[in-house]
Amino acid sequence: MSAKTVCVVPFNRVEGDLKVRLDIEEGRVTDARCSGIMYRGFENILKGRGPLDGLVITPRICGICSTSHLSAAAKALDSIFGAEVPDNGLRIRNITGMAEMIQNDTRHSFLLFMADFTHPHFRKHPLYEEAQRRYTPMKGADAVQTVRESRRILEIIALLGGQWPHSSFMVPGGVVTVPSPNDISQCRFMVRHYRRWYERQVLGCAIERWREIQSRKDLDDWLEERPEHQNSAVGFFLRFSEAAKLEEQGRGDGRFISFGGFDMPRETGVKSFGNKDQFLGAGFLADGITASLDQEKIVEDLSHCWFENSGPITQHPFSGKTRPYATGSESDRYSWAKAPRYDGHPAECGPLAQLAVAGDPLMVDLAKTIGSTVFTRVLARLARTAILLPALEGWLQELADGNGESFQNYDPVNEGEGFGLVEAPRGALGHWVKIRDKKIQTYQIITPTAWNASPRDQKEVRGPIEASLVNTTIENPDDPFEAGLVIRSFDPCLVCTVHAIET
Amino acid sequence: MKHTLYWLQCGGCGGDTWSLFNARSPDLAECIDLLDIELLWHPSISVMGLTELRDLNSALITGKKPLNILCIEGSVIRGPAGTGMFDEADGRPKKDLVAALAHQADYILAVGTCASYGGIGADGEIEATGLHFHKWKQGGFLGESFSSKKGLPVINLPGCPCHCDVVIGTLSMLLSGAEIELNAFGMPLEWYGMMVHQGCTRNEYHEYRVEEKQFGEKGCMFFYLGCHGPLVNGPCNKILWNGRSSKTRVGVPCFGCTRPDFPQQYPFFETRNIEGIPIDLPDGVSRAHYLAYKGMAAAAAPKRLKKRKTGI
Repeated sequence: MSAKTVCVVPFNRVEGDLKVRLDIEEGRVTDARCSGIMYRGFENILKGRGPLDGLVITPRICGICSTSHLSAAAKALDSIFGAEVPDNGLRIRNITGMAEMIQNDTRHSFLLFMADFTHPHFRKHPLYEEAQRRYTPMKGADAVQTVRESRRILEIIALLGGQWPHSSFMVPGGVVTVPSPNDISQCRFMVRHYRRWYERQVLGCAIERWREIQSRKDLDDWLEERPEHQNSAVGFFLRFSEAAKLEEQGRGDGRFISFGGFDMPRETGVKSFGNKDQFLGAGFLADGITASLDQEKIVEDLSHCWFENSGPITQHPFSGKTRPYATGSESDRYSWAKAPRYDGHPAECGPLAQLAVAGDPLMVDLAKTIGSTVFTRVLARLARTAILLPALEGWLQELADGNGESFQNYDPVNEGEGFGLVEAPRGALGHWVKIRDKKIQTYQIITPTAWNASPRDQKEVRGPIEASLVNTTIENPDDPFEAGLVIRSFDPCLVCTVHAIET
Repeated sequence: MKHTLYWLQCGGCGGDTWSLFNARSPDLAECIDLLDIELLWHPSISVMGLTELRDLNSALITGKKPLNILCIEGSVIRGPAGTGMFDEADGRPKKDLVAALAHQADYILAVGTCASYGGIGADGEIEATGLHFHKWKQGGFLGESFSSKKGLPVINLPGCPCHCDVVIGTLSMLLSGAEIELNAFGMPLEWYGMMVHQGCTRNEYHEYRVEEKQFGEKGCMFFYLGCHGPLVNGPCNKILWNGRSSKTRVGVPCFGCTRPDFPQQYPFFETRNIEGIPIDLPDGVSRAHYLAYKGMAAAAAPKRLKKRKTGI
């Protein structure tokens, strides 16, 4: 008879607090339950407040993606007020959103994720010493560089939006900022500086060369091509992953959701990935087929979370209620995260989902040939900057060239409802807002981590992180390090899990 | 001996940590090195197994290992019904860990408005409170009579988030033995002895009452758009954000995020007023004199400001 161990473990180096219960038999995970263990009650804090207050309160949900929450809040208000955002308003929203995303990808990869490579668990890995030289927290060469470089790209948000994190420069109808020509040229200096660092240190080649990689085979060829490729951060990740077998770990079920990203200005030279409205198109990818996104198909399932569910067990966010109910280990409830479902299914989100749904050739190929694993999730995060930076540069150039408005006034209405769907650094983020009598009546938020760290639903189907943990080999049940690696490959953020649980 | 520092995140968003990563001179890695800090634990940085962390916590709580500086980010969550289980750590309410560590620390920094005064959630169902204050009232989670091992109250570093230079500057003063003068709400005067308004590039517009009514205009945001710059303490326009700018400079009103009652209960982006004059006047100003002064100032406004020709 095999011994079964049940361990309940909190994980750090995720934003916020995540606790996972693992059932381990013969050194393998047989079941997993993810719990968001902090409840912050944002949706109820917003109730009864002024109609624009979401622009101030919701960025405070998350300290690493506040600009994304701001963007979702502003888009929800755009739709309620029928506000048209002029092209320069869209450009500034996109530039700042991309800067935040690039910051997140860099910091998560090199400070939060790669730090695991320095753990004694890998002491027998042939590249362990190199990993320590690079990623020992606050000391390793790559970690220290990341601290220095990632803050620079955020200076763009300060120039175009006042500060990072937690500004409120996006408003219905655009942005409040009117950047001067010098502000814009300063932004361009910062982007140029960042591109140089990214190309030299992270990729080891020009972005244009990297973008020629369209398949698994191209990737292997690229790695062999030059020592610069092997010695770059991506090259190191590829070499380390191979010996650590990261390609096989943390396998997801391959259903992806993305809210797309970055609304295209009406007139622009920046080329989207084939979608005319969004730079990266939204969609739901399952069984190799991408369907267009319909937000009506999103529900939250309350069967396993600590919320009152006297009504229907699944609710669309417009009719959703957030009333905290039980705590502790009562029956089958175990999380402050509700379980979002699309068309009845759980779905993984994040850079891999976003790029595969949008049709980036390399990520489409990797999703098909390898699937969603620790390796592909992390590689997509490392490589996303190569997709974003050229577009960011293009929009900055257009901002420098044209004098158009970045804000257009709107008629405030006293009643209405609307939603704002954006792609945050960690994936699909939605705000659903109802206004009555000039006040917020309801405000429901589904964060990317709510999707990924979702508990199971009424059909007992596991959420994406839970499902990816099953079959993970665990050497030491007292410190299930391998589970941490799988979890961190999703870059979970539990401060957001708003029901304001930190997801 | 290195100075030991433990950073605990409670009911917050992590924004104070990421704001700390904005530091430029010194940056965070340099700061740890130059101030001779041994970072015992930071949830976003540390690579430490669960067993080691439990051992560390128990060594600190029993006083076996000295704790020089405790930084708390986020409010202390006491709900539901005082149990604290809306925020747990390793199966127990996190507030218990806060209390245990606080009683062993030489110095305690409340980093950000949530840790200082309760902030987001102070009026909500999560029953959030600050470490040593609940909004304007001294007491909070640790109680009015609390002092740290070195006999100091909790040092409050409000702001949503707190500016990186304020955290690093306070650490540097503490560790060099300098005396830190605090105001009535536990904030160091070095950074909170000034108004957010000071150094705003829209000051001349304020002076002559040339006001912004619509987003994106050049003007002062105090009369119509709810700017709290002249009402609240903070160094935003002196030390600047990300070394570059500030909300008020780019046209976002100050929301008063350093104030013990942040977030306010009335709507943002509008100024509460009586017949066009704000209810909340600049800190300490007499209403009668202010009315006379603003009337005259508006009459004296130069054309370049009225036509909004002066840059901001």
